[in-house]
Amino acid sequence: MQKTGFVYDKRYQLHDTGDYHPEVAERLEAVYKGIEEAGLLPYLTLIPAVPAKPKWIEAVHEVAYIRRFEELCLCGRRTFDFPDNQMCCETYEVASLAVGGVLKAAEMMMKGEIDNAFCAVRPPGHHAEVNQAMGFCYFNNIAICARYLQQEWGIGRIGIFDFDVHHGNGTQHIFEEDATVLYYSVHEHPSFAFPGTGRAFEKGTGTGTGYTRNYPILPGQGDDAYDKMLKEDFVPAFDEFAPEVILVSAGFDAHEDDDMSGISLSTAGFSRIMKTVVELAERHAGGRLISVLEGGYSIRRLPELARDHIAILLGKDV
Amino acid sequence: MFINNSMTRKVITIGPDADIFEAQRMMSEHNIRHLPVVEGDNKLIGIVTDRDLRSAMPLEFFKHQGDCQEVRDKIQEMRIRQIMTPDPTTITPHYTIQDALLLIQQLKVGALPVVDDEGRLTGIISVRDLLRAFINVLGIGEPGTLLCILAEERIGEMKRIVDAITEENISVGSILVARYWDENKRAVFPYLMTNNVVRIKKKLQELGFTLLNPMEWYLDQLPKNE
Repeated sequence: MQKTGFVYDKRYQLHDTGDYHPEVAERLEAVYKGIEEAGLLPYLTLIPAVPAKPKWIEAVHEVAYIRRFEELCLCGRRTFDFPDNQMCCETYEVASLAVGGVLKAAEMMMKGEIDNAFCAVRPPGHHAEVNQAMGFCYFNNIAICARYLQQEWGIGRIGIFDFDVHHGNGTQHIFEEDATVLYYSVHEHPSFAFPGTGRAFEKGTGTGTGYTRNYPILPGQGDDAYDKMLKEDFVPAFDEFAPEVILVSAGFDAHEDDDMSGISLSTAGFSRIMKTVVELAERHAGGRLISVLEGGYSIRRLPELARDHIAILLGKDV
Repeated sequence: MFINNSMTRKVITIGPDADIFEAQRMMSEHNIRHLPVVEGDNKLIGIVTDRDLRSAMPLEFFKHQGDCQEVRDKIQEMRIRQIMTPDPTTITPHYTIQDALLLIQQLKVGALPVVDDEGRLTGIISVRDLLRAFINVLGIGEPGTLLCILAEERIGEMKRIVDAITEENISVGSILVARYWDENKRAVFPYLMTNNVVRIKKKLQELGFTLLNPMEWYLDQLPKNE
């Protein structure tokens, strides 16, 4: 069995998105509940949040953007850049804790204290651009983690797999010129779903051409389309790239009971995805894998999705 | 929606006495396919396209892959004036984008020169300019989500949809309305500038609208002219 870290902290619930917002604190309670009720907590290494060092956030985001975020947040503004991005006074601090939690997990993994980890953090990150908040995201947790692993631990090639139902525009743009980070995203087709990027012909730019890969799924295509993606596109791409560490943007909003999308992926479909990713990590990265929560809004389904996700990281049968 | 705001103003032009190689060089340098031909005072007298250039090249030129000096000399003597389309159809800056779309479709051309009342060239509008304008109109360059709604063909239905969106405080990138196979219905496609569509979807369903499965719908529902 693997030593799996679990980043979880009550303070992640302090980010208040106001009325009628799908990205709510209850999501994390649902994640915790699923893992607790399955009796998996004793197997996990609990990792509490720590604030991120500013230099790591600055490794991805512009300083002016970070200051703007902090200022608007502290002076009581309720939205940031887009009306979607609802926030409260604590949001800046919580966003910094989200980055810090992910980096802590990465550090423990590199020190050999854990093999892999799931970071149940809020707010999510993959839509956040270098200088703009977007789609409920403020700091790009996964992108910052990739830069941290490269700059602090000398990791060369990092493979990011993003299975959130929405395209991770922020992560793509941050690494699109970078051949050392393979960004692979599978998501609902951008003609139907937010944010309208991630078309199959977006493949990176300059020296990074070929190191951005997008696999749009048409509405309603569900498990079969994802199985095809894994077998025919994703696995060959990661086998060829042979990442030294795999990072996962884990969004559970492609689920058939999630109102945020029309993809209709089943719980078992999510498990097949995750098993494939874990196998790839074992094959190329010595098992090193950090999974970070992005979207996923079905409070009813999140417990089972988180339970299976964690169980697969632990190497248990699902 | 006027041409004035969508056309390319810095037009790359050529004189009637230039040679074909010069035109070819200009097109490839600027990555364009149309060169308006102008005389003194920017007066438009013709247009030359990349296809005109290719048609003017003798077969021997392609056979020798451009290496044969004798053939090159012969081509060098040809003037743009001889191969251009003289007096092309033009439009003025006050034409609308809709005018240009219909005219381009009718004439089967790739671009229209834009001239002032004295016939002086002031711009050019190409299919590419129109595409850019429509990407802008559709709002798809900005982050958002497309809804697919089936509505009765009845006065006031659109208002109900827009009211519901307004009540949810969502701004609209664009709304497309298209015919549906059922004559009494319309398919409505609002592009909403948000990721948070859960409540608006529910609200529309409560108002009695059907959310279409986008996979069962196609843009061109009408019988085609084969």
